[in-house]
Amino acid sequence: MNTQFAIFVFLALATLIGAASVALSRNIFWSAMGLLSCLVGVGGLYVMLSADFVAITQLLVYIGGVLVLILFAIMLTSQIQEISVSNRSVGLVGGYLIFFVVSTLLSFVALWAPWRLTSKEPVANTTVALGDGLLGTWLLPFEIASVLLVATLVGAIVIARKEVKSDS
Amino acid sequence: MAIDMKIERQILRRTETSDEEIVVNFGPQHPSTHGVINFVTQTTGEIIRRSVPEVGYLHRGLEKIGEMVTYPGYMPFTDRIDYVAAMFANEGYALAVERLLGIEAPPRAQYLRAIAGELCRISSHFIAVGTMATDIGAATPLTHGLRERESVNDLIEELCGARLTFNYHRIGGVSFDAPAGWSDKVLRFLDHLDSYIQEWDRLISFNQIYVDRLANVGVITREQAVDYGLVGPNLRGSGVQWDIRRDLSYGAYPDFAFDIPVGTGRFGTVGDCWDRYYVRVQEMLESSKIIRQALAKLPEGEIMAKVARKPKPDAGEAVGRVESARGEMLYYVVSDGSEKAYRLRVRTGSFLAMGIIEELSRGIMVADLIAIIASLDIVAPEIDR
Amino acid sequence: MRITLGLDSTSLSRRYPRLAILATLFMAFGLPLGLYVAALAVFPLNTPERLDAMAEQWLGYDLAGSPYRYIVYTAFLLLVAFIAVNYTAVFGGVSTWVERRVAGRMQSRIGPNRPGAAGFLSWVADAVKMILKEDTIPAEADHLLFRAAPYFSMVGLLLPFVVLPFGEATVVTDMNVGVFYVAAASAFVVVGILVSGWASNSKWALFGGIRGAAQVMSYEIPAGIAMMVPVLMAGTLSMQGIVRAQGGWPWQWFVFQNPAAFVAFFIAVTASLAEGNRTPFDLPEAESELVAGYHAEYSGFRLAIFLMVEWANMWIMAGLAVTLFLGGWQVPGYGAEDYARLLGTGLLPAPGWFGLQLLSMLMFVVKTWALVFVFIWLRWTLPRVRVDQMMSLCWKYLVPGAFLCFVVTLVWQLLVPPAGVAFTGYALTALALFVLAKFAVATRRNISKVAGHRVDLGNW
Repeated sequence: MNTQFAIFVFLALATLIGAASVALSRNIFWSAMGLLSCLVGVGGLYVMLSADFVAITQLLVYIGGVLVLILFAIMLTSQIQEISVSNRSVGLVGGYLIFFVVSTLLSFVALWAPWRLTSKEPVANTTVALGDGLLGTWLLPFEIASVLLVATLVGAIVIARKEVKSDS
Repeated sequence: MAIDMKIERQILRRTETSDEEIVVNFGPQHPSTHGVINFVTQTTGEIIRRSVPEVGYLHRGLEKIGEMVTYPGYMPFTDRIDYVAAMFANEGYALAVERLLGIEAPPRAQYLRAIAGELCRISSHFIAVGTMATDIGAATPLTHGLRERESVNDLIEELCGARLTFNYHRIGGVSFDAPAGWSDKVLRFLDHLDSYIQEWDRLISFNQIYVDRLANVGVITREQAVDYGLVGPNLRGSGVQWDIRRDLSYGAYPDFAFDIPVGTGRFGTVGDCWDRYYVRVQEMLESSKIIRQALAKLPEGEIMAKVARKPKPDAGEAVGRVESARGEMLYYVVSDGSEKAYRLRVRTGSFLAMGIIEELSRGIMVADLIAIIASLDIVAPEIDR
Repeated sequence: MRITLGLDSTSLSRRYPRLAILATLFMAFGLPLGLYVAALAVFPLNTPERLDAMAEQWLGYDLAGSPYRYIVYTAFLLLVAFIAVNYTAVFGGVSTWVERRVAGRMQSRIGPNRPGAAGFLSWVADAVKMILKEDTIPAEADHLLFRAAPYFSMVGLLLPFVVLPFGEATVVTDMNVGVFYVAAASAFVVVGILVSGWASNSKWALFGGIRGAAQVMSYEIPAGIAMMVPVLMAGTLSMQGIVRAQGGWPWQWFVFQNPAAFVAFFIAVTASLAEGNRTPFDLPEAESELVAGYHAEYSGFRLAIFLMVEWANMWIMAGLAVTLFLGGWQVPGYGAEDYARLLGTGLLPAPGWFGLQLLSMLMFVVKTWALVFVFIWLRWTLPRVRVDQMMSLCWKYLVPGAFLCFVVTLVWQLLVPPAGVAFTGYALTALALFVLAKFAVATRRNISKVAGHRVDLGNW
């Protein structure tokens, strides 16, 4: 196959192995590292889909924001190594059941969905289109999302303030 | 007190089971503990719950040595008690033994002691304020301070041949007279110093970040300062106007007119770190005033009183108190009539300053602890002797 | 056994003083200049179309239709990356020497003056020493992550070089989302700091890591918003597009074209100082508090990487500010049409084009070094802020300030006519010159106030 496919395989493997290590690692710091690999891989896949703005946003938000926050939280926890892997209350049988159902479903979707194939085009400037879309066609969802985020922020501050007050 | 601290430390170390609290050893190898001191510090994140200093880490038995060597033979050891301001350690011991012997140094020697002491105070305060700036994160003031200190060291070297451990004082006087032309050099340096302090203020004292870091941090109230027995600039920083040079005057100091700077709470509360810092800066200018007066009035005459080579004071006890750069330095000497002291005790400013750190450290930030340690001007060997 | 690498001042350079000077000249000018020339030769060719055309015309080979074309493109990309990485390392080294010499001057001491003329080769000696040192890993550390952490920081450092324009044509690739990309790339530096802080298994490193993460994450916000101001003014996220929207003369720079951009410039520089862990925001490694912060346990080559990242980051910080606000590589008196005219339509441009390119690179390099000097100057003047002050400065002053600049710029772009913008350019330039002159006069007066000591340049 060609170079593009090789790069795709590399990125897909980085994503999958990263995702697997998030779930399977016994050290939550290593899980976070797996998440890093997973998120970078997804960012790379965005680039391959000619979505440059979304790819950079992926980097900025998920690695610069979410992952760093997760790492931050991990560093403040005392027990990092040798934690129990998953929620044992469901039990192994239930876990396997869910695993098989979901994986079968996903495989079906992956194999039988009518994927739309686009022609290979170089990365075009998607920023303008995204901006126009967000502030034009999709203005209402965009604004609703912003209001939701503001509500989240205010809520976080209220909760944090309560803790500070009860501390002192 | 030492035993209490040991127990405290053990308790502290045992509390490191909780999720949020960690115990950190500030020192003994830490860039800003000003020597080999250990602060066992219990923190939750950046907030310090408590910090207990470990006194006794640098104990060298200097007091015991004082009981094993002759009276004049102990003089070089006093240098090692406070090597940043060795002149005062010399002077306090000389005063104590002179009182024990019932003699007094000749006037010229007393003036030379005052001049050398004030020069030493300037150099010691440059170290104090310079390292304080370094601890706050500004690297340049320390090197500028060291440059000025070099000039002082040159002057003292011309006087007594040493630059750090001077061994200048003798029981009954001083070892060397001022060389010819020395006082002109001192005056030239003082002219430079008086104008340089303004540059120092522009460089660091009134720097906004510096003021913000120090104002309202580590506030020691007047009552606290007295209760904890703080001395010297640490006491005066809290607004208490107490100076051995004026209040329990000794040597040539009654002849000089000088002010005693105290903390005013210029940028925050009286007794904060900035006040203690600025008291030291102002004291350098006062020292300059004293040296100018002493050089103008320097009497002629002997520099040594008549003292036997191995003096044997009558049985009894005497106290020598001097105002060192780190506050009152007290020598208590007990004689049993032999040529060696029966008991020798030194009380120093840094040791007293260590006591208040635990009180101040509750609920402050890690960076504030560094500022407080620096503002108390602790010299490690002086704590433990 | 004694290893002599020719850098030993006592043997070689003292016996052959000319050799030392030659070596210094080579390292000081030959190395960076060589890199610049290599960049100039390779960077503009780094487009598939141009490579295809060259292969067609010179080799008679149809690269565009070849199955191996991606390998050729990748090889050229790697060559470009090689030059950029080497430039980073050389700048990181040279800037340590400059910093130490400037600091020595400021602190009335000498600074490094042994290897090479004026001690210039000391950065090479330092690097050699660092590489030869034992690479110790604490027994209780997480070995793999401990080893990996410096490379995260390294990646975070190198990524912005992809879009940083050194000259009109000298840029690895001119992304459509360049500014956004630079903001995102700093995430890797944070990951490096966090991972090194945790993997060291040391309390000091942990403190440093947490501080570093909190600091960089907070200051990304004002830096990002302030960087949006030139983006608004240029109407593009591309770095080259932003530079092209400015002019060569100071009054054509964005920083002077609108008062909000003037403020945004200072916000952006302050925030990038904090992102680069430079004094007064060197909290993550605060020597007097945290010993050495997140790299307290590192030694040898890994420590060298952390230090190189720290110093080379200055180039990114300064280069970004120069590109966004100070006119980038724009040469006064030359516009876009001059470049196009000199480039011509042939496969190889005219020699004059290369001269103009060198001039544009020189403009960028001089401006960036000037800003780097300001960073060094600040570092050796200011004390360090406290954690809570750092946070309140960010969230209470810089973030609202940056937002305000953003909004004012929006209104300005809509309302102020071009004549008004031009007038603001002249007025703000004049104001800046006036402030600089006042500053120089005040400095001279303050120096003359101190009796006795005069500034002695003898040891320099």
